[in-house]
Amino acid sequence: MVHPGLISLNGINKSYLQAGQRLRILSDVSLSLAPGESCALLGASGSGKSTLLNILGLLDQADEGEYRLAGHDIRQADPERLAGLRNRLIGFVFQSFNLLPRLSARENVALPLGYRGTPRREALARADRLLERVGLGQRGDHRPADLSGGQRQRVAIARALVGEPTLILADEPTGNLDAATAADIMDLLLGLNRERQVTLVMVTHDTRLAGRLERCLEMRQGVLHEGLAP
Amino acid sequence: MSLALPARHLGEALGSLRTLGRRTLLALLGIVIGSASVIALVNIGDNAVEDARSIFKDLGTDTLVVQFPAQAGDQATLPPTLDLDALRQAVPGLAQLAPVQMFSAPVSVGGQSTNASVVGSDASLQGAMGLRLRQGRFLSAFDRSGNGAVLGAQLAETLGSPVRPLQVGDQVRINQDLFQVLGILVSQPNAVLVPVVANDALIVPFDAMRRLQARTRLDNLIVRVAPGRDVTVTGKALEAALARLLPGRESSVQVAQSILDGLTRQTRTFTYLLTALGGISLVGGGIGVMNVMLMNVAERRREIGVRMALGARRRDIRNLFLLEAMTLSAAGAACGALLGLLFAYLYARFSGWQFSLAGGALPLGVGSTLLVGLFFGLYPAVMAARLQPVEALRDD
Repeated sequence: MVHPGLISLNGINKSYLQAGQRLRILSDVSLSLAPGESCALLGASGSGKSTLLNILGLLDQADEGEYRLAGHDIRQADPERLAGLRNRLIGFVFQSFNLLPRLSARENVALPLGYRGTPRREALARADRLLERVGLGQRGDHRPADLSGGQRQRVAIARALVGEPTLILADEPTGNLDAATAADIMDLLLGLNRERQVTLVMVTHDTRLAGRLERCLEMRQGVLHEGLAP
Repeated sequence: MSLALPARHLGEALGSLRTLGRRTLLALLGIVIGSASVIALVNIGDNAVEDARSIFKDLGTDTLVVQFPAQAGDQATLPPTLDLDALRQAVPGLAQLAPVQMFSAPVSVGGQSTNASVVGSDASLQGAMGLRLRQGRFLSAFDRSGNGAVLGAQLAETLGSPVRPLQVGDQVRINQDLFQVLGILVSQPNAVLVPVVANDALIVPFDAMRRLQARTRLDNLIVRVAPGRDVTVTGKALEAALARLLPGRESSVQVAQSILDGLTRQTRTFTYLLTALGGISLVGGGIGVMNVMLMNVAERRREIGVRMALGARRRDIRNLFLLEAMTLSAAGAACGALLGLLFAYLYARFSGWQFSLAGGALPLGVGSTLLVGLFFGLYPAVMAARLQPVEALRDD
């Protein structure tokens, strides 16, 4: 069976048990994304978009349905293999940055390489190159606490990219930033999407930001719709 | 966790333990106390055994004492003497065999008088008890029934005066009889088992006892076993020979070695008890480690989630926290080793023992501390590793 796309979701269902009741979060979600595509994922709070992003990012498992990522059948993979796939294929950018406070910016960026056994010296050299690319070449030794919000998100983006993933998953990456910084971060993400042909999936509330991406998807009560609601 | 970067991981572990601050210090204190008590108690127990051994080493573990327990109405059946030569022939391996008869009597020299234990024996008592002389000579084979006497150090001091210490050639009065001082013994420690207290004894020839007491009887035999002979086996042979030579008369042979062994065993039991106590406090310390590690895991749940999202496998997470627990216990073991040895040293000093480093103390103390750290660190580490990424990352 040939899967031309990078991501192929088919008939994904997910529900949680809450207060003794089955709560349906995702119903029959199907989606395919091509390499290099950029895609915005919109939806109200509780619509299931975060759950979908977690499933895409291999942080959560669907109850039913098929998921293939870069040719790997995710439903068959054990936790060990999922960790390896996350490390090699996916870069995460979180709304709250999620940098490790005790590590310097450079060490934060080098972290994913450590988990694939890259020698430390080489990992730090690659981290420095990525920090250069996101415009923080001089800040490698700073702790996250000494950086501004925008700088922290740049470090996080560098960390997401250091392993040369094929997919960037960004969960409201500009949600905690002011408008000007948010625009900078968007420019950075879209620039990286274009120059590295890395697929970008971004969860956002902001329809204006969503408009800058090639595709728009909207979650409404667990159902995925192509394009924006009128 | 790749082995290529141990120094960095250790640095991270230390850093994260530092940020836990006072809680880490308290857990560390617990493990230090546990580790120190294991090391100190093992060492103290070992030093106590050594001390007990050294006290009894000089008494001669190669000594046998034969007793003739009193039996109801058997006064007549006890022969006043025993054919010692026949006994020597019957039992091989007896280096010295000394008959002993004792009674207490007032003795006096000039104006000084005191109570002494008068011991009737022969020349072989010197070898059997390892007596050494300060002055003069011991009884000889020719003193069988003469009126020579050898005095213990303490007795000689009591009977002499500062102006005129007791000397060889002086006359000692026992009851109505006069004995001439042949020699004075060097002061020596009491021997276990042996009924003769050398320091207070006035030793006279065995046959001279007839003149001092109406009825003579053999009280004890003091035997030294020849070097290289098994003391217990010789003791059994002696018992059998005595039963043959003295039919109808009960005799009991006591072996110093077996008493020493009993003593050592008793001291060892105490050592085990002490070690168990140390172990209990170590387990307490281990629970402290588990507590601080569980808090550590709870506080860093989000970090665990982030690390998992970046590709950390379960074993990476487990090793991360296990390394921290082990770092904590290793630091505790190191401090505990120093503290424990210091305590054992001070204890030995104040007990007047010889301090020596027990071979097992350090490996046992440090090893058990690391093991306890591993055991109590494993549960929090495995819990951290079992977290689902999505749960670890959730805000709540």
